[in-house]
Amino acid sequence: MAHDLLLLVPEIAVLLTAVVVLVCEMLRRPRAALSVTVAGLALAALSAIPLLGVESTAFSGTFRVDALSTWACLILLPATALSALLARAELAGEEGEGTVYSLLCFTALGALILAGSGDLMLLVLGVLLSSLGSFALVAHRDDDRATEAAMKYFVFGSVSGGVMIFGVSYWVGATGSTLLAALGGVTGAPPAAALGLVAVVVGLGYKAAVVPFHFWAPDAYDGAPVSVAGFLSVVPKIGAILALAQVVRDLPVGLGWPLVIAAISVLTMTYGNLAALVQRNVVRLLAYSSVAQSGYFLLGVAATGGPLARPSLVVFATAYAAMNLGAFAVVLRTGRDLDAFTGLGRSRPATGAAMVIFLLSLVGIPPLAGFAGKFLLFGAALASHLLWLAIAAILNSVLSLAVYLRIVVPMYRTPDSAPTGRAPNPLASGVWGIALAVTVGLGAAVQLILGRVGP
Amino acid sequence: MPIVTVTLFTPLLGALLVLSGGLHSARRAHGIGIATTAVTLLGALAMWARGVGPSGFSQVEQFAWIPSIGAAYRVGVDGISLPLVLLTALLFLLAAVYSARIRERAPAYVILMLLLETASIGTFTALDGLLFYVFFEVSLVSMYFMIAGWGHEDRQRAALMFFLYTLLGSLPLLLAILGLYLGSSPHTFDMRVWIAHPPLSGTAATLALIAMLVTFAVKIPIFPVHTWLPAAHVEAPTAGSVILAGVMLKFGTYGLVRFALQMTPEAFRAAGVVILILGVVSALYGAFAALAQTDLKRLVAYTSVNHMGYVVVAVAVAALASGPAVRALALDGAVLQMVSHGLVTGALFLLVGMIQDRAHTRETAAFGGLLQVVPGLGWAFVLAAFASLGLPGLAHFPAEFQIFLATLRVSPPAVVVVIGIVVTAALYLRAIGRTFFGELPARWAAMADLNLREWLAVAPLLVLTVVVGVAPFWVLDVIHTTTAWLHL
Repeated sequence: MAHDLLLLVPEIAVLLTAVVVLVCEMLRRPRAALSVTVAGLALAALSAIPLLGVESTAFSGTFRVDALSTWACLILLPATALSALLARAELAGEEGEGTVYSLLCFTALGALILAGSGDLMLLVLGVLLSSLGSFALVAHRDDDRATEAAMKYFVFGSVSGGVMIFGVSYWVGATGSTLLAALGGVTGAPPAAALGLVAVVVGLGYKAAVVPFHFWAPDAYDGAPVSVAGFLSVVPKIGAILALAQVVRDLPVGLGWPLVIAAISVLTMTYGNLAALVQRNVVRLLAYSSVAQSGYFLLGVAATGGPLARPSLVVFATAYAAMNLGAFAVVLRTGRDLDAFTGLGRSRPATGAAMVIFLLSLVGIPPLAGFAGKFLLFGAALASHLLWLAIAAILNSVLSLAVYLRIVVPMYRTPDSAPTGRAPNPLASGVWGIALAVTVGLGAAVQLILGRVGP
Repeated sequence: MPIVTVTLFTPLLGALLVLSGGLHSARRAHGIGIATTAVTLLGALAMWARGVGPSGFSQVEQFAWIPSIGAAYRVGVDGISLPLVLLTALLFLLAAVYSARIRERAPAYVILMLLLETASIGTFTALDGLLFYVFFEVSLVSMYFMIAGWGHEDRQRAALMFFLYTLLGSLPLLLAILGLYLGSSPHTFDMRVWIAHPPLSGTAATLALIAMLVTFAVKIPIFPVHTWLPAAHVEAPTAGSVILAGVMLKFGTYGLVRFALQMTPEAFRAAGVVILILGVVSALYGAFAALAQTDLKRLVAYTSVNHMGYVVVAVAVAALASGPAVRALALDGAVLQMVSHGLVTGALFLLVGMIQDRAHTRETAAFGGLLQVVPGLGWAFVLAAFASLGLPGLAHFPAEFQIFLATLRVSPPAVVVVIGIVVTAALYLRAIGRTFFGELPARWAAMADLNLREWLAVAPLLVLTVVVGVAPFWVLDVIHTTTAWLHL
């Protein structure tokens, strides 16, 4: 029991942080709430470092402590802290500021549970926990747009959550156990096995915003504060992707799941990029781009079991968290409309250069972080004999270049009027500064991760 | 002292130096740019002085980078890459000298050019598949911003087309590199291992070869995937055109030899005839397409397609050759042709740029009799044009002579490609006649001849064109050291 608790120190720390932050908010001390959030999340991330290299389970196999769940702590907790700083830059002084920090922590906790789940019930718990927090975060602004977005998100979430719970019950019926490790036994009942797979794909696919369960994403991101949109595009998404990797790890390949995942991957990246190509609103553009990025993630999931699958997921998750949060931080400073970016590169060269680097990294241009991740993902797909999937991903990378250049090209035009974005905010600049350092440095330092992930 | 690494990263340091000085002083930026490229050229000359050994790679420098997947920082040169490194360093210095007239956002321009120089030298010296790809792609980004930021009228569209086209072209190479990695045992990205023991065979090798051919065909460019080239050249700033034609097209032919020929030799030999036909068609198409141009810059751009087509022919002939002597002959010609093309086309693009700076047009019909007012510029152009059409005594002649000789020995029907020479001769003579002879339109009567900066930029290329034409052995000796020992 004590041993199990030790393995869960990071998650427990996040939970305590969330509670303390809530207390701070009750005392009307938003600044203190922010400090507690950042300090608590940092401590939780630090406490995950000793777990590197541990391959174990806690509480009779229901929670997995492995490379995926430990790295989820190391990636998602700093990302949540950065989101909190962004939220401060955007929402300082608003009603319920501290609640936002607390909800960020709860949602992150849900994502961590997802990433380490070894049991179907925990999987459902993770989805619900991260969803409930997300609904409230989207509705934070309490205007029509935010309410509508949260409503859509909520309806979509409850339906797919219901489908998921209903479907996984077939797996439980077929194997007699809720443990993921027991999934090897589902082969005895093919219809039940297939139904369960569909259900899990619906539930986690909704969280990760993969096509065709992505419809909520652009509306929710656009209705939410920009900082929350950035958070939603990173933390719950990565949690759900890693959860999917945990589930398929024990599924018999005979079920055909690699093909299902690969097909969804192609659909997701293609649709995401095509839809992003016609957006005029940068937040919606980045929402569709993050849909497309889920598609790249699925390369690593489809290759689960192969030698590069785990390292590629972890490296791409790190890269994606940095570059996407960085891009949202720049949007926060500049504005949601594409026109707000006209001339940004000339009026604010540093911000402009940073945005170019984030976007090129999202395309996967070397030597940036996104390239390191995508390179490993392509390698994982090839090693699992999914050449066609890698080719589809490559064609999509070219398509995505056209998407991101839609932001880059106007940035170097002469602006029609004086820049309209918000005044420089040291917090937002600090966040994109950190994201920039990771985006630029990860390619050279990728051994730091690879050496600690294991096959 | 790790001279290769120092030479490779000197431009990057220069770029950081410009960046640290803020983005305001154009004079300071150009000063740093010229000084940095000059130091880089000294580094390349030091590499040349060290020379290369008879087999494998020389001056190898390496340290661990990502040991978990067998990738490392590995650089070095052989007789194929060393002349290209020297050419790159020279062209960048001359481009920096020529560009000193640019005032608009000069620091950003210099930073991009220096970044591009590191990427270019890195592409030629990388001995690690992953590292090669990184440099290969970084060059793309820098060139995109150079065209988009400092090009002519329709630059955004041309830059976009260039970026999309070549990114689409280069990603298959990534798959091929991953394929070679997964095929090698133990897994490694060491290009020397891939060359010594080609890791793929059968269908896998054929697929990898196809992927590489796509990448390098776009880069070279080979007909029918050449359409980005005239667009990019016409819109690119002059120095951009010089680098694009003089250095970046060589990535394609260099990759064709280094990757396609050396790492999938069996598959390359099997596909040799197809590649030979591609080369012949491309060379002839480039020549005839150039014949139809009235814009001087487009004309030079299409002759690049023609000249690079000869290189493709030579590499295919080398693969099909039965004996090592003929193979060496073909490859000597191919590598020398790359160097000559860099010198001659670099000079031609500079001269066309100088004409455009004065006249703000490049249409041959708008000119006539320019030799009367700008004799320096005129005779320089005539010399470069004669070199480009393959006149004996100038740089292209020894290269093309070896290529045609090897072709005749291995695959006589392919010698039909010499028609290209006749066509280029005709088109250059016509262009020279229309531009520099005949009656001088009154509006050009006050045109100024080349100034000191312009002479400094173009004269070294003209001198080297003659030197390589008259005495090619000092380059050929280095090239031959490696090609004579090449195992295929």
